Amino acid sequence: MDAETKKVKHRHVELAQKILDIATERGMTRGERLPEQALASRCNVSRTPIRKALQILADRLIVTAEPEGGYLLAIDPASFPGLEDEARPTEETELYNAILRDLSAGRIADSQTVASLQRRYDASRSAVQNALIKLSEDNLAERAPGQQWLIKQFAIGGDAVAKSLEFRLSCEPLALTLPGFHRDGPAITSLRHSMDILRGMNETNFDQKLFERTDFDFHMLIARSCGNPFMSEALVSHHRRRRSSQPPVHVNAYRLMQSNAEHMQILEQIERGQMDLASDLMRVHIQLSHSQRPRLAGRGVPPIFRVVG
Amino acid sequence: MTQPKVIAFFPEASYGAALNCVGIAQQLRSLGARPVFICHPGFRGVFAEYGFPEYPLPSSGNESQTDWTDFINRHQDAFRQTPLEQIKSYVAPTWDAIVDTAIAAEEPLRQLLAQLKPDIIALDNVVMFPAIANAGVPWVRIVSCAETELPDVAVPPYLSGCGGTPENDWSLFAEKYRQAVAPAHRRMNAFLIECGLKARPPGEFLESSPFLNLLLSPDAVRFERDQPLDPKTHVYLNGCVRQEAAYALPAFAAHQDAPLVLTSFGSLGAMDVVLIKRMIDVFAVLPYRFIVNVGPWRDDYARVPDNVFLESWFPQPSIVAQSSLFIHHGGNNSFCEALYYGVPSLIMSYCWDGHDNARRAQDVGVGQRIDRYQWTDAALAAAIADLLSDQAMRNRLEANSATMKQSNGAAVAARAILDLV
Repeated sequence: MDAETKKVKHRHVELAQKILDIATERGMTRGERLPEQALASRCNVSRTPIRKALQILADRLIVTAEPEGGYLLAIDPASFPGLEDEARPTEETELYNAILRDLSAGRIADSQTVASLQRRYDASRSAVQNALIKLSEDNLAERAPGQQWLIKQFAIGGDAVAKSLEFRLSCEPLALTLPGFHRDGPAITSLRHSMDILRGMNETNFDQKLFERTDFDFHMLIARSCGNPFMSEALVSHHRRRRSSQPPVHVNAYRLMQSNAEHMQILEQIERGQMDLASDLMRVHIQLSHSQRPRLAGRGVPPIFRVVG
Repeated sequence: MTQPKVIAFFPEASYGAALNCVGIAQQLRSLGARPVFICHPGFRGVFAEYGFPEYPLPSSGNESQTDWTDFINRHQDAFRQTPLEQIKSYVAPTWDAIVDTAIAAEEPLRQLLAQLKPDIIALDNVVMFPAIANAGVPWVRIVSCAETELPDVAVPPYLSGCGGTPENDWSLFAEKYRQAVAPAHRRMNAFLIECGLKARPPGEFLESSPFLNLLLSPDAVRFERDQPLDPKTHVYLNGCVRQEAAYALPAFAAHQDAPLVLTSFGSLGAMDVVLIKRMIDVFAVLPYRFIVNVGPWRDDYARVPDNVFLESWFPQPSIVAQSSLFIHHGGNNSFCEALYYGVPSLIMSYCWDGHDNARRAQDVGVGQRIDRYQWTDAALAAAIADLLSDQAMRNRLEANSATMKQSNGAAVAARAILDLV
């Protein structure tokens, strides 16, 4: 598959995911018809790419084709964790990941030029440029004076997760109490539907991917609903960046089940209009998500250290 | 409606014991019990991550703060010594600290147990806490260390790293150990008597529970005892591995499809950054992938080779399951996980029962040991290559792994605990 075909295929997969998101938002369930024209209008594209996207969903048995034309949902979209792009990643996606990985490991410096990255990865100029643009879109790189690009080390460093939680602890509870906060009823309903499905699972069959999707959607919902464009922009950008760059935190399924329950409690208070309570619950939720484990432990190790110098 | 049975776990402040207890507690929770964790001051956060309530013992406020740098330097020197030399430099001071901990914990522990009103207490430690024996409910001793912790004339002395056949080195170590720990032992016995308990024989700080004792020790490394343990009160778990989050392997910049080698010396062992850097220099030229636990010292590693990935915290069992070799310190939890997943061990022990496990692994053919400091680049590379290519060992480990998985030690432990109420 050449690079251009991969890109087109990737766009169709993205569109297919968008169709599922719309179906979830509308509370659609298994067996309901997906109207092509309405989807095309909603996604602001023509019917041709919508058909291609629906064909991708049909290939993965997520929708079924009707003999007389059109497609029906073959699954409950709220229970679906999200589409994976099965095509091999494009060269720029591979480069994007490699740059972050190698910066994190200290193999490359945070200041780079297109030429230096070309040499390191034996890649074409356009592929490196595209990878840097993608990093820049995700707020992980920015242009520096001259030919330089600055890749944001702080976003992927050893304490990025802790600093991110600190930032969220300052902003997310506050976002819930801003005067312009508006409740997005359909989005809340569809989120709760997915969270209910997660609540029905146990430690053994817990769907981590579905949780990751609902976790991201939940925090994005609050960011988008806060009513202050500056706060909204900061939080949306932060959530996107942590999804694409932060290392996984390896949380046990039971804690994720608790986290899902905490999300549901917050949503409940938002629906009741109890925003101060929702804000307090958010503060607790973020603190519970922050690991407090000791850095060093062992037999004979004292519990309290004094750092000198 | 019947109230769930409250099982209060009190593991020592080390990751091995703590995570072993988590495995048993997960099983108890699935059986409808309510496991809770009592933690030492400063050792909290670990159990909450697995969804368990935590009750930290209040700090007495009298503890002197330890200088971090001084602590590291002092221990790193001791970790370079032989087990015999460590008796004086590391083991005796550690027993002193352990006895201090037991004495300081007594009153807050007694108060906490009175509040919690557990149905059963599970102690995973190397020292007795009289508040537990006096709580008026059954208590369970969990032996997370190597089997050598329970003495027997046919078992090598605890912490000695001696082989399985009695020789002069056994008596030499045992005598020196008894002498060195005698002051701490005297203090402990005085404390036990003051709390209404009986004194312990020389060298022993913890009695077997009259109710139930759970030993992690896998069958593959068990000793033939002169005086077998009473099967009514002693249960061998054949390992005890917790349920963990899945671990998706990272993309490596080189050797993406090569065998995976996990290196972890625990949080304490990770503090020797110089040693780990030296090992990474060797790893850099080998045709394998390496995941290395560097603990909280991640930022001390300036440049990481393409085939090496550094981690600070990870669900260890989930990586061991995907590894072809596990380089570790002989900590009993790590050793049990390697055996559970049929992975050979290259053990570079530096203290406590790590020495016993290193020797035992080599003697029964489930791994090799190598001195933690006295190695050349070629020797380390050869040890790794040998273990990766030893098909006979792999076959032996696979057969043992199947038995351990079938045993399901964590579930056996949970049922045995609930049988007490």
